[in-house]
Amino acid sequence: MSAAVAEIIAISLTLNGRAHSARVAPQMMLADFLRDACGLTGTKIGCDQATCGACTVLVDGAPLAACATFAWQIDGCTVTTIEGLATNAALDPVQEAFKAKSAFQCGYCTPGMILLAKALLAANPSPDHAAIRDWISANVCRCTGYQMIVEAVEDAARRLREAAR
Amino acid sequence: MSAPLRAVGTALPRVDADLKVTGAARYTVDVSLPRMLHVKVLRSPHAHARLAHIDARAAAAMPGVAAVVTRDDLRGLNATYGYFIKDQPIVALDKVRYMGDMVAAVAAETEEQAVRALERIEVRYEPLPAAATIEAALAAGAPTLFETPAPGIVPAYGTGASGFKDPAKNVCYRFCYTTGDPAAFARADHVFKDEFRFSRMQHYHLEPFVTVARVEGGEIELWSSCQNPFPLRKELARIFNHPEQNIRVHVPFVGAGYGAKNNCKTEPVAVLLAKKSGRPVRFCMTQEENFLTQSQHAAILRLETGVTRDGRFVARRSEILLDAGAYSDASPLVAEKAGYRINGPYRWEHIDSRCDCVMTNTTPAGPFRGFGGTQASWASESQIDMIARRLGLDPVAVRKKNLLKLGEAYVPGESGMDSNLAEGLDLVCREIGYGRGKRTKGRGIGIAIGFKDSGGVNKPAEAQVKATTTGGIIVNCGTVEIGQGIQTAFTRIVAELFACPPARVSYAPINTDATPFDQGTNASSAIVVMGQALERAARDCIARILDFAAAQLRCEAKDLRLENWSVIKDNQAHALAPMIMRHFGGTGFEFVGRGFFKPETDHHAPLEAKCVSWEIGWGAAEVDVDEETGRVTVCKLVVSGDAGRAIHKDACRGQDEGAAIMGLGQALFETMRFDGPELVNIAAAKYRVPLASDLPETFRAVTQEQGHGPGPFGAKGMGEAGMLPVAAAIANAIEDAVGVRITSLPLSPEKVLAALDAKRRGPDSWAGPDRPYEKP
Repeated sequence: MSAAVAEIIAISLTLNGRAHSARVAPQMMLADFLRDACGLTGTKIGCDQATCGACTVLVDGAPLAACATFAWQIDGCTVTTIEGLATNAALDPVQEAFKAKSAFQCGYCTPGMILLAKALLAANPSPDHAAIRDWISANVCRCTGYQMIVEAVEDAARRLREAAR
Repeated sequence: MSAPLRAVGTALPRVDADLKVTGAARYTVDVSLPRMLHVKVLRSPHAHARLAHIDARAAAAMPGVAAVVTRDDLRGLNATYGYFIKDQPIVALDKVRYMGDMVAAVAAETEEQAVRALERIEVRYEPLPAAATIEAALAAGAPTLFETPAPGIVPAYGTGASGFKDPAKNVCYRFCYTTGDPAAFARADHVFKDEFRFSRMQHYHLEPFVTVARVEGGEIELWSSCQNPFPLRKELARIFNHPEQNIRVHVPFVGAGYGAKNNCKTEPVAVLLAKKSGRPVRFCMTQEENFLTQSQHAAILRLETGVTRDGRFVARRSEILLDAGAYSDASPLVAEKAGYRINGPYRWEHIDSRCDCVMTNTTPAGPFRGFGGTQASWASESQIDMIARRLGLDPVAVRKKNLLKLGEAYVPGESGMDSNLAEGLDLVCREIGYGRGKRTKGRGIGIAIGFKDSGGVNKPAEAQVKATTTGGIIVNCGTVEIGQGIQTAFTRIVAELFACPPARVSYAPINTDATPFDQGTNASSAIVVMGQALERAARDCIARILDFAAAQLRCEAKDLRLENWSVIKDNQAHALAPMIMRHFGGTGFEFVGRGFFKPETDHHAPLEAKCVSWEIGWGAAEVDVDEETGRVTVCKLVVSGDAGRAIHKDACRGQDEGAAIMGLGQALFETMRFDGPELVNIAAAKYRVPLASDLPETFRAVTQEQGHGPGPFGAKGMGEAGMLPVAAAIANAIEDAVGVRITSLPLSPEKVLAALDAKRRGPDSWAGPDRPYEKP
């Protein structure tokens, strides 16, 4: 294996609600750490330039491009990937909304979009159309033309508000 | 369409929803094998050069490297591939022909080690002059890309159509179509000559080109993000002189393609390295590499159109030049389609079309949603509007006057239109408010009708449907789930035919050993070609079940029908599972049905067989043009496709909307920018695709269900049509708004502003291609 690795860094984090510790090479990216070391392949790599957003994960609740984040940078953080949303086989309301509204096609951007939407709804439980469009413009979906995603996020907001009542 | 349907058209979620919203859906990028190596390739820094020397020995000795391949490893293989013309080498042979051409490849324990090894490959190039554009490649004294013609074929076209391989220098293929008498031009009151330019996009599929391959015990096995596994298997068998029965291609979920994932990309290099290393390999391109692998076709389209003074179309002569890039890829087929579709869904006395594939030292162009139809619709629908305005006629009325009627043949020997074109036109006019409301300065409305033949050419498909003892239904066919929702559509169709809940029907994973043959998931053919095979397979399976039940119940099969895994006889239900167990024993049985479909070969039809279906995209745009800046805002965009019968309404709507927004990007800003032969805006950080913030304030996709399609329940394919009319509708709206005509894409503020400036100064000052025109 690679002899160029200068040192291995020990990290600990909360990954999808569970304490996790690992030893990572300094150049390992978070996306590779999640996919290759943790087997969480729901995080997808698209452009690998922190631009398309397919690799979006939540770090301490904020959306982050895992392809452009070193694994060691999340030491001590709480990380949520798409695999961490559904609990006891029940989908998260945002997942439910994407499913109900068919707000996906090839599905490659979907995990990132759902996590991006989670972050929006945590910050703003009742976003209007314009706010949703603005927010999800952080990520690329090449299939859907976005409108059905906007509608799904709106639907998710409604579901979350109803669940909170 | 009388009986109520229980599965088709229902609002049930897509069958892939749970997998895709939870991240559990597996794509080729997620496939990992024990001891798997990683591949990186060396790419040419030159647009055109002779490969004088290559030595990879030092690279092979680098840490972690298991195998390196160069042209020396291609001896004894059929080292080139392509659709009609086999001209693209697995890695460069004598020359490199574009910046990014693959020269060598390394398989190592890690990608990092593979990259380090690439740096140690010694290459000496002898640079040659490059031709970066269509004009440069056709100019006198242009460099020649292929000194000796590559082997290839020309299809056996029918009436009026012809194909020519290598008809001119740097032209790898020419398609011609003609019908009617050229003397028709004399009956036209006016003949208008206009030239249009079409800029190229990159597909920008988010899952990269990727293959995982292993070669063990004489078996080649691969997982590939590809949309045509059977032609891929055949091509690999030919390249490697390997028996087809010992090649197995798996296709998991595909992270989209928009046309790009047809035919060889990563596969030959991956198989070559797996063979040489004796280990499984993964070749996953970066997005930069996707951009260096495939693009849409840029084009120059020259139309000479004869019309009567009251706007009747008489004759059209077309010359289309496609930028094929450095290798032929699917260009001959795209030329065939562009040349065939250029006249749109209208009636003509005479047609004379020619389409050339021009080789340039740039990224190879290949299939892209619309497949020549996008280029053709852009030019044709722009010119029709221009002609109407020149004649002082209403553009919609002119279209209506010439539209083919439902059932009317496209051209002699062709099938009839399977959509009511005027109905769709009325619909988008109504939705956009055409001819209503008062005009506002800087605002305008444009209409266009995108058009293509759909279902591929002479395409065969086979499907299998199995029913288990307990009434589980398994659909086994080669249509790839690439985002379009075909697993949903096909399982719903089968559930409808079996009169069972959709949850009873599953879609088998695709692997070429077990899956029946399919030519490819392309050309909007799934519903109209495979769909017909699948319907036959389901009916065949049901017939076997009813025959069996009739024998058990001592009656005739025609007196039985299937419902919820019971047979109904005289309103009495007989459960099938116990009946099967009684007859076949405790382990039960499976009933298997097969279905085949292919359009009949027809040498009178221009393209080998009559077209299976016609795909129409009606579009309407309302724009606001800022005359100070030239900026065009699309305030309202309406597109409509005809699904014939929507098997899943959301999936249909999603196809139209996704296609329309792709068209919006193409119209306004999205384009691959070249500086000479060098692609400047390569990959996401530099290449602009539409984002949610680009959505028009009002955006509507209306799925028509006219019911005339050849697919199950009257369905038609509709994955491409939404893209076709958008650019022309917007250009037409710009002229409606501010009286300038832009004939080249994208419709950038610079072009609009220059046209507005020139209009203010008068036509004589007009220098660019977008010249104003005089009314006759």
